[in-house]
Amino acid sequence: MQLKKKKPPVNLKAALTIAASALLGTIPKTVVAAENTTKSKKALKDSSWDFESALLFYSESDRVSAAEAILNGQKTFENDEVLNLKLTVDVLTGASANGAAAQPNVQTFTRPSGKGSYQTQVNETPLDDTFKDTRVQFNAQWTQPLAENYTGSAGVHISKEYDYLSLGINGNLAYDFNQKNSTFSVGLSYFQDTFEPEGGIPLAFASMPAAFGSTIDNSDKKADFNASRRTDSDDKSTADIMFGFTQVINRRMIMQFNYSYSKVDGYLNDPFKVLSLVDSTGIAQDYVYENRPDSRLKQSLYAQTKYHFEQNIIDVSYRYMWDDWELDSHTIDSKLRVPLSRQSYIEPHFRFYKQSAAQFYQPFLVELNTLPEFASADYRIGEMRAYTLGIKYGTTLSDGNNLSFRLEYYRQDPTDAGHKALGALSEVDLYESVNAIIAQVTYSF
Amino acid sequence: MQSERNVELTVTDDGHCIHFQAMASPCEVLIANSDGKLALTLGELVAKEVWRIEDKYSRYKPTSVCSVINESRGKAIAIDQETYLLLNFADTCYQLSEGVFDITSGVLRQVWQFDGSDNIPSVDAVKKVIANMGWHKVSFDEQQIVMPENMEIDFGGIGKEYAVDRAMIIANEFTDLPVLVNLGGDLAANKPRKDNVPWQVGIEHPGFIERKPMVVSLLQGALATSGDAKRFLLKDHVRYSHILNAKTGWPIEMAPRSITVVAPQCIQAGILATLALMQGEQAESFLTEQEIKFWAIR
Repeated sequence: MQLKKKKPPVNLKAALTIAASALLGTIPKTVVAAENTTKSKKALKDSSWDFESALLFYSESDRVSAAEAILNGQKTFENDEVLNLKLTVDVLTGASANGAAAQPNVQTFTRPSGKGSYQTQVNETPLDDTFKDTRVQFNAQWTQPLAENYTGSAGVHISKEYDYLSLGINGNLAYDFNQKNSTFSVGLSYFQDTFEPEGGIPLAFASMPAAFGSTIDNSDKKADFNASRRTDSDDKSTADIMFGFTQVINRRMIMQFNYSYSKVDGYLNDPFKVLSLVDSTGIAQDYVYENRPDSRLKQSLYAQTKYHFEQNIIDVSYRYMWDDWELDSHTIDSKLRVPLSRQSYIEPHFRFYKQSAAQFYQPFLVELNTLPEFASADYRIGEMRAYTLGIKYGTTLSDGNNLSFRLEYYRQDPTDAGHKALGALSEVDLYESVNAIIAQVTYSF
Repeated sequence: MQSERNVELTVTDDGHCIHFQAMASPCEVLIANSDGKLALTLGELVAKEVWRIEDKYSRYKPTSVCSVINESRGKAIAIDQETYLLLNFADTCYQLSEGVFDITSGVLRQVWQFDGSDNIPSVDAVKKVIANMGWHKVSFDEQQIVMPENMEIDFGGIGKEYAVDRAMIIANEFTDLPVLVNLGGDLAANKPRKDNVPWQVGIEHPGFIERKPMVVSLLQGALATSGDAKRFLLKDHVRYSHILNAKTGWPIEMAPRSITVVAPQCIQAGILATLALMQGEQAESFLTEQEIKFWAIR
């Protein structure tokens, strides 16, 4: 006969006290043992790190491809202090539009280093195929309660590329009120970036010099090249202030509003971008380096709503951004999370983006006209629309860790803001669309 | 049938008593004060909360969350935070009792009718019903619950006790005066009636017709009673109590007819009383070892 094993009856009372207080939302004053149990349980949980790793692939058809690996670690300490460390490594390869216009003939461009050249075929958008860069980025953020209803946060940011260094600091203060249903926050951040581009920084509107080789004597060409450069490095600073307000509307709905003001000063050009200088028939006679203002003042307003239906969660946001370059943009972003089972969900994603051109944007320069003070043919500050369509699938594995997959299609459609295409330029596509696929795998453990 | 939903105020020796009917039981709120209007307001608040919980969790109400879950036929049902917390509590009780307490065991009613007869179900009939039981087969999280088809849950074992604790929370938010909430014998008091003067509570052990109500003194805390002497089956001189072991589907042998337990909160008292009954012969020693104050009737 099997002996009936008598279980030790210890802790039943304490366990029930904890369960009852979890149910009723009360803190038992009488049962000291129970409090100790709760504490040790919490301490056990606190001693571990939570990690999230992600691999992202981004690929534009015929253009840039990027691979990105992210490792994010978070640790919560006993007094609700949170340390978050994040390491990101990106590898970028491929070609990117250099700003010059497509032409009815083959075009030859000098590589940014000056050592060598590349060609663009008839009627094709000129792409500089020399892009290869590795970026290592590190962020550390510390968050802790400061006083009742006040939470403070501070962080540092370091990002290093072959020709780029970015250092940043930030601080944030949040105040909860209205029984923690409302939160007001204010944040400040400051970034200092230094560029040291391959081949130095070109002079504004300098003609793209001819390439020099390394075998034959090229001292003249090298001298020409050097004459088009003003310095080896330059920098820019960015100061941001952001005000946020979050409001819990009810059990199912939360809203957030942000306003941000951002001031950027320093070198804001892209040293690799040029403009075609065309004659009255639209044929390029020269390529000149772009020139942008040395300051930019950006502001944005942002509103977000999350609504939890019986099962699904919808997340919709809108951002309006405007700046003193006269570039303004509207972004609508929406996600719908649909649980498939207790363990898994799918999340369709749709994003629409629309921007107007910066005041000095122009797809090319005309020889006969006087040179403007500023000009850039970078399509990223031209008029455009962009769409993202994606889907994410997430699942909780049997060991409790989370795994998710994201696949997205991203399309940028630069549009004509009314620049008259001269002669041959009317025959080519000055506003070529860019299609990209984004694939991401995330694993949390 | 919807019982009349109204509250009645009576004046007692040193305060007021508000009566109402809920969860098939007579309910009362005792308040040690002289202001009848305040007492009535409090009584209405408490009654409203108890009725709310009854409407939400009674398996007899076709629109209750409980009924919606029971009619889900294996489909996921979205739940709110309160339901999640209740299920979580039921889950803890299931774990602590190693499956003896199980909110899916209500289907045993299909074979066990404790009407004093000798109507003992066959072993096969019990087995068949047991196939539709088992809390471990139910999955739930903060958003939803998924229960296999043909299964049922009911909050009978915890619902009334939960209502007592919720009522107490509402009362404490409303006043600092001494209050006692009694929902058909499951009750709680926030503080002594007067300085060091306990509440005198008559506990009617259900089914003990011949017995006078037991009067207990309670300074503060909660009381809950489990057991019903009237509900049993008798066959071949064996008395089958209505306390069923959810693991076997058969009555617990040698269980006390009724146990009343004292605990800081009513839901704890209730579950301790139920878990104790499920220890059968060891019911009293189980509670004694836990240093829990109780009264048992055999």
